[in-house]
Amino acid sequence: MRWRPGPIFIILALAALLPLLDVVLPPKMQLCEAVRGVFLYAILALGLNVVTGYAGLLNLGIAAFMAIGAYSFGILTCEIYPFQLGFWPALALTIPIGAFAGFILGAPTLGLRGDYLAIVTLGFGEIVQDVLKNLDVVTKGTQGINPLPAPTFGGSEWTAEDEYKWYYLFFALLVLTVFAVRNLERSRLGRAWFSIREDEIASRSMGIRVERTKLIAFATAAAIAAFAGGLSASVLSSTGEPSNYDFQISILALCIVIVGGIGSIAGVLVGALVMVGLNSIVLVKATAWMAANGIGSQGNVLLSPNNWKFLIFGLALILAVRLKPNGLIPPRIERAKQ
Amino acid sequence: MKNSAILLSILSACSVVLAAGQEVKVAAPATKGTLKIISSLPRTGSANAQTSTMVNGINLAIAEVGGQVDGWTIAYEDMDDASPQRGNWDPAVEAQNANSAVKDDTCVAYIGTFNSGAAKVAIPILNRAGLVMVSPANTYPGLTKPGFGEANEPDVYRPSGKINYFRVVPTDDLQGVEAANWSKFLGAKKVFILNDRELYGKGITAVYRKQAESIGMEVVGFEEIDSKAANYRSLATKVKATKPDMVYFGGTTQSNAGQVAKDMRSGGYEGMFMVPDGCFEQAFIEAAGAANLNGKTYITFGGLPPEKMTGKGAEFCAAYQSKFGAVPEAYASYGYESARVILLAIAQAKTKDRSGILAAVAATKDFNGVLGKWSFDANGDTSSRVMSGQTVQDGKFVFVKVLGN
Amino acid sequence: MLDFEVFSQQLITGLSNGMIIALIAIGYTMVYGIIELINFAHGDVFMLGAFLALTLLGALGMEAWGPSGQVFGVALMLIGSAVFCGGLNWSLDRLAYRALRKSSKLSLLVSAIGCSFVCMNLGLFWGGAPMKVFANGNSAAAPKNFPAIIPQINLLGDGFLRITPADLLVFTVTIPLMVGLTFMVKRTRLGRAMRAVAQDPTAASLMGIPVDRVIGATFFIGGALGGFASVIYSLYNNTIGFQMGTRAGLDAFTAAVLGGIGSLPGAVLGGLTIGCVRSMSDQYLETRWTNTIVFCILVLILIFRPNGLLGSTRREKV
Repeated sequence: MRWRPGPIFIILALAALLPLLDVVLPPKMQLCEAVRGVFLYAILALGLNVVTGYAGLLNLGIAAFMAIGAYSFGILTCEIYPFQLGFWPALALTIPIGAFAGFILGAPTLGLRGDYLAIVTLGFGEIVQDVLKNLDVVTKGTQGINPLPAPTFGGSEWTAEDEYKWYYLFFALLVLTVFAVRNLERSRLGRAWFSIREDEIASRSMGIRVERTKLIAFATAAAIAAFAGGLSASVLSSTGEPSNYDFQISILALCIVIVGGIGSIAGVLVGALVMVGLNSIVLVKATAWMAANGIGSQGNVLLSPNNWKFLIFGLALILAVRLKPNGLIPPRIERAKQ
Repeated sequence: MKNSAILLSILSACSVVLAAGQEVKVAAPATKGTLKIISSLPRTGSANAQTSTMVNGINLAIAEVGGQVDGWTIAYEDMDDASPQRGNWDPAVEAQNANSAVKDDTCVAYIGTFNSGAAKVAIPILNRAGLVMVSPANTYPGLTKPGFGEANEPDVYRPSGKINYFRVVPTDDLQGVEAANWSKFLGAKKVFILNDRELYGKGITAVYRKQAESIGMEVVGFEEIDSKAANYRSLATKVKATKPDMVYFGGTTQSNAGQVAKDMRSGGYEGMFMVPDGCFEQAFIEAAGAANLNGKTYITFGGLPPEKMTGKGAEFCAAYQSKFGAVPEAYASYGYESARVILLAIAQAKTKDRSGILAAVAATKDFNGVLGKWSFDANGDTSSRVMSGQTVQDGKFVFVKVLGN
Repeated sequence: MLDFEVFSQQLITGLSNGMIIALIAIGYTMVYGIIELINFAHGDVFMLGAFLALTLLGALGMEAWGPSGQVFGVALMLIGSAVFCGGLNWSLDRLAYRALRKSSKLSLLVSAIGCSFVCMNLGLFWGGAPMKVFANGNSAAAPKNFPAIIPQINLLGDGFLRITPADLLVFTVTIPLMVGLTFMVKRTRLGRAMRAVAQDPTAASLMGIPVDRVIGATFFIGGALGGFASVIYSLYNNTIGFQMGTRAGLDAFTAAVLGGIGSLPGAVLGGLTIGCVRSMSDQYLETRWTNTIVFCILVLILIFRPNGLLGSTRREKV
């Protein structure tokens, strides 16, 4: 059988070539830096896709795990704490830390059905933010932890100006995540997740240990989200503040998964490109362009382009699910049904 | 699969079109070229209420010099460091703005940020590029002052070893002390302290508390609020039960100061109420309701209020009022002052080099500004120590006294 | 003052806040009960109701009306906002949700999130309205003062304990509404149709029930309750802003789940529980931990009662 490139391969190949486009464009376009944000949300959303897409458990608090990852990375590396690890060991440690946090939340609550579980995850998201804010002895509260180390690869430490290095680092880690998730999807465990999503009772009677399987999905998602958090803290050289990981981030990740195609890796990648691309590339560039050309004014609320961002984002969500209810790239099982 | 390719190409096509149109159109006569000032402030979400007046101030300063300094045309780009999904400042966007300023060869100065947290992200990026940054709003002391923040501050923000960050606003450690002294002067013996858990509010109340205790006031309570709560009635009851004669709230209009003031009154607390300059804007009075503030509300501010300004300040007020139809507020004057410092530096630097303009900003001495006559000190802070105290009467801020002397 | 007085005061505050949360929560729980959608836009519909109320208040100059005129004014705002929010919620269903009935619950959820953003942006625009009550539209994003046309006097005289007319208003409006709603769901034709659709839409439509119209009616009633709540909220808190829907919605949704989603008395009990827990935590613990405590209690209750306080124990539909 002749090998045909799958959608995932095409997307990743295009992404790998993107910096070429950046060279052609005027320097201030900074397409690479913006697309790096797409990669970050893609990793986060791939994590969410494991729990919500594969196992069918609605999670509205994925940003909490991102926060846990970012703050663990901060505490493990920053010079004001005793650990002072380097970039790689700290980033690697965010994975088990995230998984553990997912386990702690998941273990007592997985007995809950559907949307009850969703509200618990949502509550967990709020609790994590509050705890990070209030335990300022450890977390520095709203100050954020900074500076944080970047990878070195022998030479001097990367700075924000090494954008192509960062771009390919993010790209490589995204590819790594994609392969990890794809292997999970095709493993025995992945099939068990699908089975639970479709019919819990039938799965149980087929001998699948439902609670344990769900818990693994939860912990995997949390681990990936924490990994994304550590990565984002590193590139910003700061954990930001706890409210940078609020409900809105969880919602964005959820929209990426659903608009892209729930349960589909290629879908999540495209979803991240469309949603984050709209938010942090198209809208940003469009408003900057309008401002530079004197279109609109700050005096009138309706004439200021910035004031339309929520509306455009909202309409995009409504239209996306209206036109493509199964997502931009539905998973194979959905495509087969059609 | 087809979808993804199409989307990618649409996105990139959009970007190319936008990039092509992004060069600023210059109508002015032939000049030596264009120098750009970039501001990075939250323009999406609730903070936009404050930042629009800052941008007004910046625009006014540029318009006053006719958009030209020393033969250079001055371009201004108003960047948004908030994102719609956050509705608030976003660290990734702030980093993106800072990087794009660095990349833009014509950019010689960066005005921002509004949130001190965002400054922590932007300063090191700009510092490596030697691009000067002037903040109209950051008051977290650790950004410039050794010994006030973490042990590694402020050196961590200066990877190049040089100072590139300046601010025209007095830091929390000054304002908090003055606020506590004034509270005592007003006759407060027992004070209940509240803050919004933001960097600004937390910092200023920590200083206030320390000073209040050291000058012999009794701190009967210290609470950190949830700035998104619907109301603070329960908190008001708790405050009332401790019988304070002063409630100090460290926070901004944006972090619900209006509701706090209102609920203290509707909860039956009748004593004094004091807030810092984050509330020195008409929107605070609008949000709280004038009737709830009249007479017993006090506001501290780093500078003189519009009606007390003389010289440059008075001119600014008149110009602002005629252009925007409103009395300039605290943030408008901070924004205006930041832009003027930069414009003056460009005029004096006689060069388009970032390092020359940075040096000229750093050398700012006896600057005749709307906030008084001041210089930048070795840390990059304003030397201005002028603090004024205001109260609210009939829905308007009324100057009470100059604090600290 | 006595500790007892402090406690009673907190209880009153908690119950008043809880009643408002409950009224919003009913909107969530009704919609969830019938189409299993967490209607994220509900909080923002509620927010727009408050903006309409403020517009009415400003346009008709209600501040200058006498006490009896203001009672009329409050009634006018209640009816205006209820009709408006009901209509808006119905339109959202018609325009953004109905086409997705056959799709997965999650696409419906995303559509609701989209509607929430759109409504929030409309609120931002509305805040720039050139009216005196909106500060002449000078800063659209800033919070708006909602004039206290209900006087802030203490009905109990000069003591520590305060009951204001606003507290009374909360109860005199919400309790009859809840009683009326319960009656409607239990006794009327529409109520029976709603319960039938909630149990099994296919069977209901086979029995001749116009399912889409019943769902539309549910959205209208849920939205209308949000509209009533928005006026009560505004008169009680006296501040409105375009982002207030997010928090109000979060609290109300938590209340709906806590009480057992789909259950009307559950939503009320959930709302009152959250209101009181908040008050007590503010008083006896630290304000900064209040949110954490509310959610910890939620998790604990759900661990021991997985269907909420008053939720039905029926299995999830397969």
